[in-house]
Amino acid sequence: MSPKTLLAAVLVLAASARAADPTKEELVGMLKTIDDRQRNGGDYKALIYLEQKEKEKADIVREVIVYRRDESDQLMFLFTKPKSEEGKGYLRINKNLWSYDPGTGKWERTTERERIGGTNSQRRDFDESRLAEEFDPTFEANEKLGKFDVIRVSLAAKPGVDVPYPVIKLWIDPTNSNELKRQELALSGRLMRTTYYPKWNKIYSASKKGDVWFPGEIRIFDEVEKSNQTLVLFKNVDLNPLDGNMFTKAWLESKSR
Amino acid sequence: MIARLVVLVQIALRNLFASFINFIIGGIILVGTCTTVVGGGMLDSLDRSMSRSVIGSVAGHVQIYSTKSKDELALFGGMTGGDPELAAMTDFAKVKTALETLPNVKTVVPMGVSGALITSGNTVDLVLARLRDLYKVRDGKNVNPDLADLSGPALTEQIAAQKAHVRQIVNVLKGDYTKAKVLLKKDTEETREGEEALARVSDDGFWAGFDTDPYGSLEYLENRIAPLVTDSDLLFIRYAGTNLDTFQQSFDRMRVIDGQKVPEGHRGFLIAKFFYENNMKLKNARRLDQIKEALDEGNNRVIKGDPVLERLVKENQAQTRDVILQLDGIKTAQVIAALQKLLKTEQTDFAELLTSFFTTDDQNFRERYDFFYKEIAPKLQLYRVKVGDSLTIKAFTKSGYVQSVNVKVYGTFSFEGLEKSPLAGSMCLMDLMSFRDLYGYLTTDKLEEMKALKAGAQAKEVSREHAEDDLFGGGDVVEAQATAGVIDDKAQLSGTGQAMHQEDLVKRVYSREEIENGVVLNAAVMLKDPARLKQTIADINALSEKDGLSIKAVSWQDAAGLLGQFILVAKLVLFFFVGVIFVVAMVIINNAMMMATLQRTQTIGTMRAIGAQRSFVLTMVLVETLVLGLVFGVLGMGLGTGFMSYLGSHGINATTDIMYFFFSGPKLLPTLSAGNLIAALVIILVVSSLSTLIPAVIATRVSPLRAMQTDE
Repeated sequence: MSPKTLLAAVLVLAASARAADPTKEELVGMLKTIDDRQRNGGDYKALIYLEQKEKEKADIVREVIVYRRDESDQLMFLFTKPKSEEGKGYLRINKNLWSYDPGTGKWERTTERERIGGTNSQRRDFDESRLAEEFDPTFEANEKLGKFDVIRVSLAAKPGVDVPYPVIKLWIDPTNSNELKRQELALSGRLMRTTYYPKWNKIYSASKKGDVWFPGEIRIFDEVEKSNQTLVLFKNVDLNPLDGNMFTKAWLESKSR
Repeated sequence: MIARLVVLVQIALRNLFASFINFIIGGIILVGTCTTVVGGGMLDSLDRSMSRSVIGSVAGHVQIYSTKSKDELALFGGMTGGDPELAAMTDFAKVKTALETLPNVKTVVPMGVSGALITSGNTVDLVLARLRDLYKVRDGKNVNPDLADLSGPALTEQIAAQKAHVRQIVNVLKGDYTKAKVLLKKDTEETREGEEALARVSDDGFWAGFDTDPYGSLEYLENRIAPLVTDSDLLFIRYAGTNLDTFQQSFDRMRVIDGQKVPEGHRGFLIAKFFYENNMKLKNARRLDQIKEALDEGNNRVIKGDPVLERLVKENQAQTRDVILQLDGIKTAQVIAALQKLLKTEQTDFAELLTSFFTTDDQNFRERYDFFYKEIAPKLQLYRVKVGDSLTIKAFTKSGYVQSVNVKVYGTFSFEGLEKSPLAGSMCLMDLMSFRDLYGYLTTDKLEEMKALKAGAQAKEVSREHAEDDLFGGGDVVEAQATAGVIDDKAQLSGTGQAMHQEDLVKRVYSREEIENGVVLNAAVMLKDPARLKQTIADINALSEKDGLSIKAVSWQDAAGLLGQFILVAKLVLFFFVGVIFVVAMVIINNAMMMATLQRTQTIGTMRAIGAQRSFVLTMVLVETLVLGLVFGVLGMGLGTGFMSYLGSHGINATTDIMYFFFSGPKLLPTLSAGNLIAALVIILVVSSLSTLIPAVIATRVSPLRAMQTDE
């Protein structure tokens, strides 16, 4: 093979490789797929197991029911186990995330970075996904994640959108748009959390007339306190309609009365 | 022998002022002795006053804690700045019973020191939370023990007052938005949303229908109006959980200032008065207090030209919002009328009026101060937490989860003589039961419950290092079809966990056994005879080893952490300083005596020629120096004693917060002990003698022949 032919072959290969990289539109399409899959037209209730590991401490273990009404953008958490946590909860109304402790009867407005139940999980890990609405994607690289061929995408928060972490890196399986890994970075560029999604479950939803996807398991690794990690297991998901006016402070209070 | 000594002393006295060199040596001895007397006396006085502060405020004479602790006990903070990690003493009652068998142990006070953040929400949050609680009382759903006795017309009146207050806040916020729009040309989606929400709640219709759905209306206010105000603040509070009954009896410098002691066996909280005034009082009022305190100090301090006081005045002028948001419509009108009269103005803008009012100078300050406390303060909530209120404390437990408790504030307290010390005045006191709730010690039951939950989850362990291989290395299919289930909320809730009845907790009386049978982190041991401290510490440690108590005893000084080491460091500095003085003194005395000896070669040679032995010459030189040291040393002691007696009668003012703690009050009145004087004299005589040894030996080597040759 002459040098000219070799050069031509390399250029063709490079061009075809570039052509394989997803365009911005394709990336936005993937984000929309991720968002749409998790969205349910009606109500949603999930029984979740939370486990937090920290250095030299006994594991924190919780069970919590997460209620969601995507149509009106409502979200609520009710802790059910252990007994000492029973009746505690969170309620999101508009941009406010309230935490409630029945032991004191007090409501407190918390921040987007509130550690749910003292774990590394945050409100957004359980809420409706809005990646396409809140972020602009940029392709970064083709990579391997275990045995999976994935693409690494960098997401930058759109101007004026209030998000806890302005930069997110996503590792997506381009063949099926499954999000497998996520890293969240602070404004300073410091890596804050690494999250893995090894299982995605889907359930048929009558209200959506299609499947609703939810992560069967989430593994969160704290990148600041390196020894901290959280396991989130979705034990059960219930898509039956919820009570009409349950996303209120009064409803959550009534659960511990 | 005595006759010889008398002769030598006579010679020494005769030669005392014979040479100028003796004056130099004497001067050095005088300064050295004076420094040693004053330094030693000051350090001993500081040691005594600081021990009073530390022992009297929280430490007791001896502190005990678990030998399994990761860190050493540091009651006032250690090297890392945070609280030390102490292992819990799980059976305090056993430890206490064992220690009280020791003859010098008077009592053992259980403790645990920790800290938490108090988040109160902003002004609107607080008003709305109160209004919500009042409606719950109306509907028979009350959970707030403070409102347990409220009913009938009093309740209706309070609801009306709170609603009027909210309406007044809405009016203020509307004004802010209008100003922001005009001045800052601020017109974003956020401001439009704010305006829209404010317009809705300003409408009479909103308030006319309020009572039909109070909780719905409150949620609208809480979620749309309260976030418009950004004055919420976080407050870090440090507390010692203790058996309040024993604490109050054992630490007899403790005085309750406002309110009352926590009744015996009750849950309750006492706020340190210093902390209460500085951190919980309305900032405008606190600034006025600070200015008044400065003017009352008596050092001819005036506002004009004083950067600190001028800054306080400026802050009061600029920060009037706390006052404005606290008043409802009626009270606002009353204060405006009163201010117009005082300031002789027709200004109607409340913010402008308050700014003019807080524009204080040396002429009007006292009049304005009195006016504030007479006319404005009674209409305000001066403190974030009032005595009698419940305080919600939220802390991270030792196991890492968040735990909150409500504790009733019974009063404020301070330690006599330490009223203005931030170190002694920043630690609040909490009952041991609430402390244990916050500490969150995992009991066997709790651990078993967690274990069962974990076993039920059947989750595999995944380490950070191998996460990607463990989770994606097998190439397993990621997607799975699941079946929707039915989640029954009621079945998930046992109904026993958080069914805490606040009212019952507040009223419940705990027995001494209940309080003491449980977890504590450390304990103060009060001694019958504090002089036998070291022996008692050894006794406690021996007893712990013998009975397997796993506790370690340390002195108050060690327990105080870095603070306790202050005296040690100060002593080292003094010793170094005195050491340097004496080394220099030794060199100078040595040289001076050498010169003096050489000058006296003829005399010494003649003395040797007429029969004086070498030992006589040696003793003569030494005695001369000792007499010199004694005379000037005594003079130095007298000077030092005079200086200390002046300081003792006038005192040294504590000019900084830390000095206030070390001095155990606003002034240190140092005293001198015989020990200080004797130590100084002994040191000076030893130093003088040592520095004379070489010249004395040289003097013994002067031969009569040499003396005569010199004469030739």
